[in-house]
Amino acid sequence: MNQIKEKRDVLQGTLALMVLKTLDVLGPLHGYAIARRIEQISGDLLSVNQGTLYPVLLKLEQEGSIAAEWGASENNRKARFYRLTRGGRKQLQAESRGWEQTVAIMGRFFVLKAEDLK
Amino acid sequence: MRTLRRFFKRLRSWARTQQDEDRLQAEIEEHLAMQTAENLRAGLSPTEARRQAMLKFGGVEAIKEEYRAQRGLPFLESLAQDTRQAFRRLRKAPAFTISTVLTLALGIGATTSIFTLVHAVLLKSLPVANPDELYRLGKESRCCYQGGYSQEKEFSLVSYDLYKYLRDNTKGFAELAAFPASEQLFGVRRSGSSQAAQSYPGEFVSGNYFNMFGIQAYTGRTLTAEDDQPGAPLVAVMSYRLWQQQYGLDPSVVGGVFNLNDKPFTVLGITPPGFFGDALRDTPPDFFLPLNAEPFVQVDADLNKYDTHWLDLIGRIRPGAKPASIEAEMRVELKQWLRSHWGEMSANDRAKFPNQTLYLNPGGAGISSMREQYEHWLQILMIVSGFALLIVCANVANLMLVRGMERRRQISVSMALGAPASRVMRQPFTESILLSLFGGAAGLVIAFAGTRLILHFAFPTFAGFAGVPISASPSMPVLLFAFVISLLTGVAFGIAPAWMATRVDPIEALRGASRSSDRTGSFPRKTLVVFQAALSLVLLSASGLLTVALHNLENQDFGFEQDHRIVAAVNPRLAGYRTDQLSLLYRRIHDSIASVPGVSSVALCLYSPLSGGGWGTGVFVDGQPPPGPADDYFAAWDRVTAGYFEVIGNPILRGRGISEQDTATSRNVAVINEAFSRKFFKNEDPIGKHFGREAGASRQFEVVGVAKDARYLPDNLDKPVGAFFFLPEAQAEYARRNQGALFFHDIVIFAQPGASLSAARLREAMASVDPNLPIISTRNLREQVAGQFNQQRLIARLTSFFGVLSLVLASIGLYGVTAYNAGLRVGEIGVRMALGADRGHIVTLVLRGALMLIVLGLIIGFPLTFAAGKFLGSQLYGMNPYNPVVTVAAVLALGLSAILASLIPAFRASLISPIDALRAE
Repeated sequence: MNQIKEKRDVLQGTLALMVLKTLDVLGPLHGYAIARRIEQISGDLLSVNQGTLYPVLLKLEQEGSIAAEWGASENNRKARFYRLTRGGRKQLQAESRGWEQTVAIMGRFFVLKAEDLK
Repeated sequence: MRTLRRFFKRLRSWARTQQDEDRLQAEIEEHLAMQTAENLRAGLSPTEARRQAMLKFGGVEAIKEEYRAQRGLPFLESLAQDTRQAFRRLRKAPAFTISTVLTLALGIGATTSIFTLVHAVLLKSLPVANPDELYRLGKESRCCYQGGYSQEKEFSLVSYDLYKYLRDNTKGFAELAAFPASEQLFGVRRSGSSQAAQSYPGEFVSGNYFNMFGIQAYTGRTLTAEDDQPGAPLVAVMSYRLWQQQYGLDPSVVGGVFNLNDKPFTVLGITPPGFFGDALRDTPPDFFLPLNAEPFVQVDADLNKYDTHWLDLIGRIRPGAKPASIEAEMRVELKQWLRSHWGEMSANDRAKFPNQTLYLNPGGAGISSMREQYEHWLQILMIVSGFALLIVCANVANLMLVRGMERRRQISVSMALGAPASRVMRQPFTESILLSLFGGAAGLVIAFAGTRLILHFAFPTFAGFAGVPISASPSMPVLLFAFVISLLTGVAFGIAPAWMATRVDPIEALRGASRSSDRTGSFPRKTLVVFQAALSLVLLSASGLLTVALHNLENQDFGFEQDHRIVAAVNPRLAGYRTDQLSLLYRRIHDSIASVPGVSSVALCLYSPLSGGGWGTGVFVDGQPPPGPADDYFAAWDRVTAGYFEVIGNPILRGRGISEQDTATSRNVAVINEAFSRKFFKNEDPIGKHFGREAGASRQFEVVGVAKDARYLPDNLDKPVGAFFFLPEAQAEYARRNQGALFFHDIVIFAQPGASLSAARLREAMASVDPNLPIISTRNLREQVAGQFNQQRLIARLTSFFGVLSLVLASIGLYGVTAYNAGLRVGEIGVRMALGADRGHIVTLVLRGALMLIVLGLIIGFPLTFAAGKFLGSQLYGMNPYNPVVTVAAVLALGLSAILASLIPAFRASLISPIDALRAE
């Protein structure tokens, strides 16, 4: 059996970002592939029900960040492929910058020691 | 921007629901298939692979639901779902649905009809420009002539001379117009036409009348001040109604010549459609003539008599002018004018001079005696229908509460499954709204029909709805009001039990769903039934009182015979008769009609009893001191041909009636009634005594007979008949200034018992006398008398209708509550029966609970009925508000129907077999 790794729940917003980044890096994928890749990249540290991906995909599609079309998967079965749009790429860049900034600020706080504040 | 794009995407995908569902399903299947395949490659068994795949995916249904929540417009979708389900549920409970919709429809429809009438008659303004700038003279409208130089309480009618004085001197009015207080008929024939003259209503108006109202002619032009000069050409304006109905919008009417009372008038133009003059009347005027044309068309002109006050005034004030200062100005002018006529004033008038005053009132609604006449009735109707609406709401509430109780369990289950309270309450909400919509639509239909019905019964003299200024279409604001009330009630009482159910812990509700926890829930229902019972009692008592009053009015001793008497109405003015031709005309009419087979005898009179008209005068008795300014020396009078008293069936108690021996050359006589005798002659024998109609002419008439009191005037029907006297037709007073009393209105015909007289034969007889003088109408004297009580009858009938309706509704409510409570107590009843209680005991048990409610309702309703009786008593006449018979009857009616209503469930309860009852627990 698989090792039971520690898993943590993830917010839907971050899941959307992960989807966008995955599509950015790996190109058009179908739903299952995205789920697997996210699993891999997070190193199985995240506990995400794969199914929760689909509402997120729908939301992104409605917002125009990704576009969907039917295509053939690896084993020649019909699957729905999602790809990043230009608007999605812009959104990705904007949100990445936002994350980096947050991480940077929080980082400073986490290395604070009592002496620094005297 | 993104949100907007999302919204549109959602909107689009809402239209493609099924495709999207299929697509999602396919995608999920694919996903699962791929995961399963991978699990298989990792070495799991097929079933285990699939299972692990599904575990990893998560709850498919939950995911699908979340997907759906993102996808379409979930709010709208669930709303549509709720609506569909509400429809289904309502269809499955037809009894509930139909009774609720019917109840709502009745309440909304009846209330709307009545409020529409009230609005139309009482509240509506004249269809003129800026009615709020208009002011009228007088607080109350007076009809129709006042003579002399003083008027009681206020100067509300003016003579032409006084009008001119006020018009020329009052600065505050932009225009001040005058028109007669009386309604006028004209005999009209198109010049050159060979047809007989028709009679149409018309009005003399001052030249600035149309200007003052701001009315432009629909075609042609209206009257101007130039047309209203002595000696100006004779012109007239026609109403749109007549132009359309009689002349088919023929353009040649404008500029054409019409003979009015045999004088040629040129029609200048047509009034706009919807304009009906200055007052709400049964018969709005069809012709408008200048005031100065009056002497040409009227044999006995009022125009140039300084002291005959026959005109009403309405004026438009200048912008910025204050009505109070205009009123003060006019009062000064009135005194000035009176002073200028000091020489002609009688002693009494001079004594009353300091008290003479006048009032200005807002005139946007016109001079309306119709309004004042019907005002009280309509107010009562409003209150009655308000009551009815309350009862209807109570019933709807009751029905909804029952439904709410039934739903409790289902609500608890839903909540246990995790439904949010708001979602759960949406269903009863939707149901209530649907019911209210249906009820409102049905109510609209009832409102339309109801208004027409009431108009038909209340104003039967209307020829049709064409020119009638009262619109039969229900007014939108009222409809909305009633609809909103019903909606609110339905929603409130639909939501309330549901909301209470959501507060209860579901396990409690499920456990004791049909038990004592519901007992508290029937308290509001009981309150409603008590409330309904009280209201029903009030309505029933009121309708009883009104019916009794009506009965008294209709069955009083009128003093004359109503059977076998026919009254034919004529108007010799219409054929242009002069006063000196009248006597001969009357004799010819008498002889012609007397020769019709079936006619026993005929007489003519100025006004027949209760025809709506009458003349009055002051009486000066010979040998008595002249009356002072504070004395009442009024008597009404009539002019009749020989043999009148026998024809009308009014017994002569002393002396004789008017007969052939009273001619133009014999001494002037009069026949008085008992009231006259008591008022002016006290205990003395009046036969042979003299009196007159003017001061200084107290020997004018000799009393030759005393007739039994007969009711002629339609006023004060609850008070005893007033002083009245009769003068012979043959002794006409041509020297009198007011010749109107020579033109008789009615022919009274005594038909032989068993004979059937047709109106056609009578018309033939009239035509043989003068084809230009038509009979205006024929009716039985009984119909004529009954016609005076139309409004009272209508009110009594409507109130009775509402009373019975409320009784039925209250009974239904009581039935429902009793049945429900009996149902709750099934277990208890089973135990009692098992322990030996017999059927009768059970029946009494159930009945007792029900009757407690009714008794409570009666106790509450009792003082209300007395208050209602008192209110009605001050509004109506001839009615004793404390009529014990009526109250007892109402209580009995309510009690009986209550017993009946609760007997059925009581009986059913007693038929329960103890085994079944105990088993049902």
